[in-house]
Amino acid sequence: MDADPVAQDVSADRPVGVAIVDDHPVVIDGVRAWLACEPRLRVLATGDDPDQVLADAPDADVVLLDLRLHGRMVIDKLAELSAAGRRVVVYSEHTDPATMLAALDAGAAAFLAKHEGREHCVATVLAAASDRPYVPPALAGAMVGDPRPDRPALSDKEREALLLWFQSMSKASVARRMRISEHTVKQYVDRARIKYTRAGRPAATKAALLARAIEDGLVRPEEIGIYRSQAAADRPTP
Amino acid sequence: MSADLDTGPAAVPRVGPPRASLPRPDDVPAVDVARASDGGARIVAVAIALVWHTAIGLPALLEAWSELAAPAVVGAGWLVVAATGGYAGVRLLRGARPPVLPLVAVLLAVDAAVFAACGREQLFTAANWVWGTLGWFFVVVLWGRRLPWLLALLAAHSLIALAALLEHGATAPADLTRYAMYVYGTASLPTAVFAGAAVIAALARERAEAAAATLAVAAERDAAERARQERRAGLALVSGAAEAVLAELADGRADPADPLVQRRCVLAAARLRRLIAESDDVPDPLLHELRAAADLAERNGLPIELVAIGTPPPLPVEVRRRLVDPPTAALAEAGGWARLTVVAGPDEVVVSLVTPEVDGTGATGPPGHVEDDGQVEHVQERDGEIRWTQTRWRRT
Repeated sequence: MDADPVAQDVSADRPVGVAIVDDHPVVIDGVRAWLACEPRLRVLATGDDPDQVLADAPDADVVLLDLRLHGRMVIDKLAELSAAGRRVVVYSEHTDPATMLAALDAGAAAFLAKHEGREHCVATVLAAASDRPYVPPALAGAMVGDPRPDRPALSDKEREALLLWFQSMSKASVARRMRISEHTVKQYVDRARIKYTRAGRPAATKAALLARAIEDGLVRPEEIGIYRSQAAADRPTP
Repeated sequence: MSADLDTGPAAVPRVGPPRASLPRPDDVPAVDVARASDGGARIVAVAIALVWHTAIGLPALLEAWSELAAPAVVGAGWLVVAATGGYAGVRLLRGARPPVLPLVAVLLAVDAAVFAACGREQLFTAANWVWGTLGWFFVVVLWGRRLPWLLALLAAHSLIALAALLEHGATAPADLTRYAMYVYGTASLPTAVFAGAAVIAALARERAEAAAATLAVAAERDAAERARQERRAGLALVSGAAEAVLAELADGRADPADPLVQRRCVLAAARLRRLIAESDDVPDPLLHELRAAADLAERNGLPIELVAIGTPPPLPVEVRRRLVDPPTAALAEAGGWARLTVVAGPDEVVVSLVTPEVDGTGATGPPGHVEDDGQVEHVQERDGEIRWTQTRWRRT
C-alpha cells in the first residue's frame, strides 16, 4: 500500500542478496515470486535450515526468517544471527504483539506479518538492506500497545502516528488526519522504531540501525544517550 | 395448663423438622434468635434455683439444725444439691446443656436421703428444704428438654415424699391434705416457668422465621422487578434497532430490493447482534461485542479483519456502547473490505474501523467530524480514499 522504496540507497549494479529460510516450500516459492517482481532484489539461497542457507549464500544482505521452523520458535537463532551482524527480517504468521516485540528485542531488523503482502515485504527487505527501519502496520500496533513497563518512551506524536498507521494502513490518510506531510508521518513512525533499538540485549543490527538513523538525521546523537556506547562498540556503520 | 404442651414444642432448640435426638441445626438463623431469647430465661431459672436454695433453704436448715433427725445427712444433701445446681447452671449459662441422667440421679438420691433424714417433726417445715427447692433444680437440669421429663421428675419427687410420709407414719388426713398442697405448691411454679420459657422461645423463633421469610419474598420480588426492567430496557433498545424497518417492510412501504432498505436491515441486524452479545458473560465483553459485529459482517460477505492489541479494562456497558456502536453502524455501510482494530491499555481504548470509499452510497457525516461527550470521543472521517470511524475512551 504505502511501501517506501529506498532506491537511492541500493546501488543499481549490485542487487540486494536475499536468503529465505522457511520450512514450507510453498511459502518460499511465494516469497520468491514476490521478490522477483523487484529488480533490485535477488534471492541467493533458500531452505529450512538457517545455517545451511547461510553457508550456501554467505554474502546475503538480508535473511528472511520464518520465526517458526519445524514446530519450534527460533528466537534464539534470530538473536545469534543478529548478534553476528546479519540483517534478519522476521516474517511470521504469529502476529501477537509479544512475539513481535520479542523479535525486535532479539535484534530483528524488522518484523513482517505473513498476511501483510508483497509491497510491505519488498519495502521491508529493501529498508533492511540499508539498515533503515521499516514498520509495517502490524508491528506499529504491537509498538503502540506495548504494555511492558520498560518500553521505550514514545512522544505523543510518535504514538499517534503509529496508532493511525496501524489502524488505516495508509500513510497518506494518517498525514491528512494529523495535518502533516507523509514524510513526517514516516519520520514519526521510524523514530519510534529506532527508540526500540534500546530494548532487549545489544545486537550489531541494532547498532547499525541506530548509526544509520543518526546519519540520516532521523535522530540526533544527543537524543539517544545510552545508545552511543553500543553503537561504538558493536560495529561501525557499514 | 400443660395438656397442649405435653406433645407440643416444649423445648427450645427443637426447631425445624422434628428430630428425636434434639440436634442443633446451627445453619438455621431462627435458631440464633431462639437461643438469644432463651438466654435471658436461663439466667432467671438458674438465679431462682440458687437464690431459693441459699436464701430460703439454708437459713431454715440452719435454724432447725438441732431438731433434725440426721442433720449431717440433710446438710450434706444441701451441699450436694448446691454443687449440682452450680455445675448445671454454669453449663447452662455457657450455652451447653448439663448431662441430664447423672444429675437427675443425684438429685433424686438427695431427695430420698433428706426426706428420710429430716425426721417426722420436720417433714412439713422449711427445714425439709427439698420440698420447695428441688423443683427449681429440676428446671435447671432439664432446661431445653421436653416438658414430660420435668413432669416425670416432679412426679418422682412427689412419690418420694409420699413414701417418706408413709415411712414416718404421717398418714393422718391432715397430713395427706398438707402433702397434696405441698405437691401442688412446689410443682406448679417450676412447671409454669419451664413451659413458659419454652413457649416464649418457640414464639421468638417463629417470629424470626416469619421475618426471614418475608424478607426473602421481598428480595425475590425486587430481583424479579429489576430483571423485568432490564428486559424492558433491552426490548426498547431492540425495538429502536429494528422496529421501524421491520414495520415498513411488513406494510410494504419499504422495498426489500432497495439498497437503502437493505443497509438499514444490515444495520438493525448488527445492533441486535451487539445487544445480544452485550449481555453475554464473557471475560472480555468489548472484544466479544466487536467480534459479534465482525462475524455478522463477514456472514454478509464482507471480508473483515479484526485485530486487537492489549486487554481492555472493565468498562461500563454505556461506555462499551459508545465505543462499539459507531463502528458497528459504519460496518453496515461498508463495501469492499473492512479493517477493525482495537488498541487497549489500562487508561485508553481506541476502536477503529477503516473501509474503502465506495461510490454510490450516501454521505454519513462531514469529513473530520468529531464528537466528544466527555467519555468517548468519536471521529468520523472520509478522505476520498478511506472511510475512517474511530472511537476513543480515555480514563478521566
